[in-house]
Amino acid sequence: MRISLNWLKKFVDIKISDEGLVRLIGARLVEVEDVIDETHKYDKIYVVKVVEAEKIPDTHLTRCMIDCGEKELVQVMCGAPNVHEGMLAAWIAPGAVVPASVHEDAPFVIGTRKMLGKYDSHGMLAAADELDIGEDHEGIIEIDPEMAKPGDLLADVFGLNDKILDIENKSLTHRPDCFGMIGFAREVAGILGQRFEMDFSRDFGGCCRDGAPEPREDGREGRDPRKVPFKLLPDIKISDNTICPRLTAVVMEKHGEIKKKYLTYIDTVLAKSGMKPISPIVDATNYLMLLTGQPLHAYDYDKFVKVGKTDKPIIGVRLAKKNEKLTLLDDTDLVLNENDIIITSNDVPVGLAGAKGGKSTMIDENTKNILLEVATFSLFNLRKTQMAHGVFTEAITRYTKGQPPYQTLAVAEKCAEMLAEGFKVAGVADKYPKPEKPSVVKITTNEINGLLGTDYSTELITKTLENVGFQITSVSDRSEVTTEKEGASPVTTGRSDPCPKQIVIEILVPEWRTDIHIKEDIIEEVGRLLGYDNIKPVLPAHYTAERNKMFEMKRQIRDLMARYGASELLTYSFVSEQLLEKAGLDVKNSYRIVNSISPELQLVRQSIVPSLLDKSFMNQKLPVDKFAIYEMNTVYRKDLGLTDEKVPTEKVSLGFVVAERKNQETAYYKAKKYAAKLFEELNIVVEFVPLKSNKLAEAKPFEVKRSAEILVDGKYIGVVGEFKNSVRSAFKLAPYLAGFEVDMETLVTQMSHKKQINLKEQKPEDLTLTTDKSYAAALAEVQKKYPEAKIKPGTIYQAEGQKTRNITFHIEK
Amino acid sequence: MEKLEKLKQELKKINAEAASVKDLPVEKRAEFGRKINAKKQEVLAKLAEAEKALIDVAAEPIDVTAWSGTNEAMPEFYSTELGSKHPLMTELNRVVEIYQMMGFEVMESRQLDDEFHMFDSLNFAKEHPARDGYDTFRTEEGLIPPAHTSTMQHRALKKYKYKLEQGEPVAVVVPGRVYRNEDVDATHEHTFYQCEGIFVSENCTLGNMLGVLREFFERYYEQKLEIRTQPGYFPFTEPSVEFMIEKPKVLGGKKGDWLEMLGCGMIHPNVLKMAGIDPNKYHGFAWGGGIDRLVLLRYGLGDIRVFESGNLNFLREFN
Repeated sequence: MRISLNWLKKFVDIKISDEGLVRLIGARLVEVEDVIDETHKYDKIYVVKVVEAEKIPDTHLTRCMIDCGEKELVQVMCGAPNVHEGMLAAWIAPGAVVPASVHEDAPFVIGTRKMLGKYDSHGMLAAADELDIGEDHEGIIEIDPEMAKPGDLLADVFGLNDKILDIENKSLTHRPDCFGMIGFAREVAGILGQRFEMDFSRDFGGCCRDGAPEPREDGREGRDPRKVPFKLLPDIKISDNTICPRLTAVVMEKHGEIKKKYLTYIDTVLAKSGMKPISPIVDATNYLMLLTGQPLHAYDYDKFVKVGKTDKPIIGVRLAKKNEKLTLLDDTDLVLNENDIIITSNDVPVGLAGAKGGKSTMIDENTKNILLEVATFSLFNLRKTQMAHGVFTEAITRYTKGQPPYQTLAVAEKCAEMLAEGFKVAGVADKYPKPEKPSVVKITTNEINGLLGTDYSTELITKTLENVGFQITSVSDRSEVTTEKEGASPVTTGRSDPCPKQIVIEILVPEWRTDIHIKEDIIEEVGRLLGYDNIKPVLPAHYTAERNKMFEMKRQIRDLMARYGASELLTYSFVSEQLLEKAGLDVKNSYRIVNSISPELQLVRQSIVPSLLDKSFMNQKLPVDKFAIYEMNTVYRKDLGLTDEKVPTEKVSLGFVVAERKNQETAYYKAKKYAAKLFEELNIVVEFVPLKSNKLAEAKPFEVKRSAEILVDGKYIGVVGEFKNSVRSAFKLAPYLAGFEVDMETLVTQMSHKKQINLKEQKPEDLTLTTDKSYAAALAEVQKKYPEAKIKPGTIYQAEGQKTRNITFHIEK
Repeated sequence: MEKLEKLKQELKKINAEAASVKDLPVEKRAEFGRKINAKKQEVLAKLAEAEKALIDVAAEPIDVTAWSGTNEAMPEFYSTELGSKHPLMTELNRVVEIYQMMGFEVMESRQLDDEFHMFDSLNFAKEHPARDGYDTFRTEEGLIPPAHTSTMQHRALKKYKYKLEQGEPVAVVVPGRVYRNEDVDATHEHTFYQCEGIFVSENCTLGNMLGVLREFFERYYEQKLEIRTQPGYFPFTEPSVEFMIEKPKVLGGKKGDWLEMLGCGMIHPNVLKMAGIDPNKYHGFAWGGGIDRLVLLRYGLGDIRVFESGNLNFLREFN
């Protein structure tokens, strides 16, 4: 959203610098993404009077002598058909930059040049598009002589020396009121400590409340909109007031031409807010939306009635039927969904509510009478409509923040007033079946100070709230009264004051603050408007925390692995179908992401090792000749089922891969060495026994004949080994390749810090066994012989042609 | 082996059959082509499977109970110079350690969660547009890889609320991996790390929140820091605030440079209520900030995509 500081200043008296103001807005209202400085955009552009205008025969040019406030007249050639004697125009003087080009790489500087070989043309008379305040290039702009005189700077007349705030919309998601200038200005007044008096629904409109003044039933000023004496009362049929809480319709009959002759202040406001002037009717609706936040839509009345085949408008609001069709203003043919809200004429769809009007009732140059709709709709439905049909208009942006229904009638009336030159009001209807009750919040001064950590006085608090339209209906001292009976909650500030005063403030929330319901909402207003930066930071008392063993173990493993030359990786939690297939995993066992960014990231991974194999390929290509890599992370598999909370059971897993490009030996033993080191560090006794099957997900890439299961107390906790040839070749990796994957939850429960340190000097003896059995079997034999000794593995030798191997052990008695 | 031969024969037959397409009348060719192609794909898949099995069969068994290969030297660890710790994890540890000193428990975040924890328990109205702002991924079952570590708030409050009855505060930090459906570029990743903080006690204030956060950043950057705030909006906090610090000297900060560090606020009474904590008796505050950016700032890195790249030339810099 773009906010013009000059327009803002029409509503609030600002005495501080622009920089100071922008800082305060940032600190107390909304994120300002950028400040666009346009204070020099209209330099050397003047209001001038065309004193003489002589048509050059056989050309489109007119030779003009202009009065630019100096003694001498200046000659300018002009190609616009509407240039005429006596008019006030905008003159871009020689040396000035064309405003529409200021943000281009090479801004266009106007000079003096000869035209048709003999006429000197000094500068140029500007059209709206050149001034960047419209799209019109047909004619030059004309300025109202009541607003300016020759020699005035154009920027001074229209407040064009401006700064534009680019506001981050996301930071106002909950503030529909701030999407209109009045709401924004009210907040700015509030943060400057000023009272903001304007109330659009109270102060404007009124033209549709003709006839005898009737006091409103809600007790507020003005006349009751439901007692309107017009003859033509449109019929409004709302199928469900949750999708459309309020709809105001005004029929306007044409009684004259709106002659748009002069550039107006409204044109410049539209341009600075990022919209363009189009036609008087559209401009009025757009301007009011920028002013109030409330979108409006104008239909061609006669077309509307014709589509519905009625003699009086029957305006309907309902949900679309499935596959119902509608052609929009921009010729898009839409197939509607069941949650789209549509506007109908006697049940025939004519518009996509809140989003875009329909083609069949569109205003054009022949439009005689207008039907104006000012309504509010369910933001939830509109949000779905926005997503389904990709509509991102200024109107739907405002609607999806949840515009409140309180001001539709006043906005419609103001619009009718603005168009009064060409149209008179012929009928009004206002359907507001369930008027919203204003919220009332009761809060104590102590509750406010207690949550913020401040010492604000009751007077400061009430004044701050009143500044932005909250009404303080009562302030009472209830220190003596039991709080429960009064419904106020006990004071919980914990401040040192032994008998804190209980000042209860009763607050009537203004209709535009649909976001305020509870005490905390009020506390936020007070804290924000007075500035969080004025709150003193104080540390709370703290206590000793418990340890998180898993987190600590991860830290310990990280230290260990780095010490032994392994590198920690982090890889994505999402993998491709192809990756799982390459690793031999069952794709169906993975949770599938339905809105993934790419096929590479479609499935939630079931184990860590496949991701490491993938990264091994990339690293071998770099090339990195040898590496040990590992990752500790969370994995999910459908076959693990759900927890008590009905969310997938998670598994924290450690995956490890070692790979070398030029090693002929058996990689398995290196991976096993790392695994064994890990268990030794965590003081967990494990057994490595031949892998029986690789049915479990993490074991699937492993080759049964060259892998071991890791057991703790006979219980499986993971697998270490080399990978199947098919897996290795699918990942295009060199032969020296092995890895392991273990369940970390088990490690946490099994780990301990108990370690025996033996300071006695060791003189190991070697013992070699010649056997055809496995190492484990040979070890068992040696252990039987030396039950007390510590036995460490030595080398294994097999002579060529021999069946038996010589297995050496180091024995520490 | 035999099976492989048989499949190869079959494939040959299909290819021959396919060649006969030219003998068919034109209108029947398409249908025939489709059928024969389906058959061919099926056989090719089986063939690939069989070839895979064949190369897998070729693997020689080894003695997995031993510690070295026959006639091979004992394997060695790689040298310490080759080892490295992931900078994101190192940073996460640095952050968590400071909070631990300040008395915060550590609870790690889930990586696959549900709508309830991600949104409902955090006071997001059903179907509220604020949910869109998180650009969440979803699984077929409607599960959500969390878009913020706040997904653990409800669990943390429930787990530690017993402390309140003992007169102690609930103080927890939740480090974890989060996901957003975003286009990846130098400053955006779909996968990144956050650390959430939660504090609840009988009389804590917004001033306490500012105190804790300032203390953290002063310890983290080892200097006194000016702080600044901006109003924010999160459905699960009220008031909601964006928290900024002056850019620290170690990062080359000059006067007037500010860094937006995190979003925070006083926990919404509905969030406390849903976790079974009486909001009339207890107040709390919570915050959440990104870890990746801290690392980028610390090392002057310009591209967030290096973190999950697995590139050892980068990672081994963090020895």
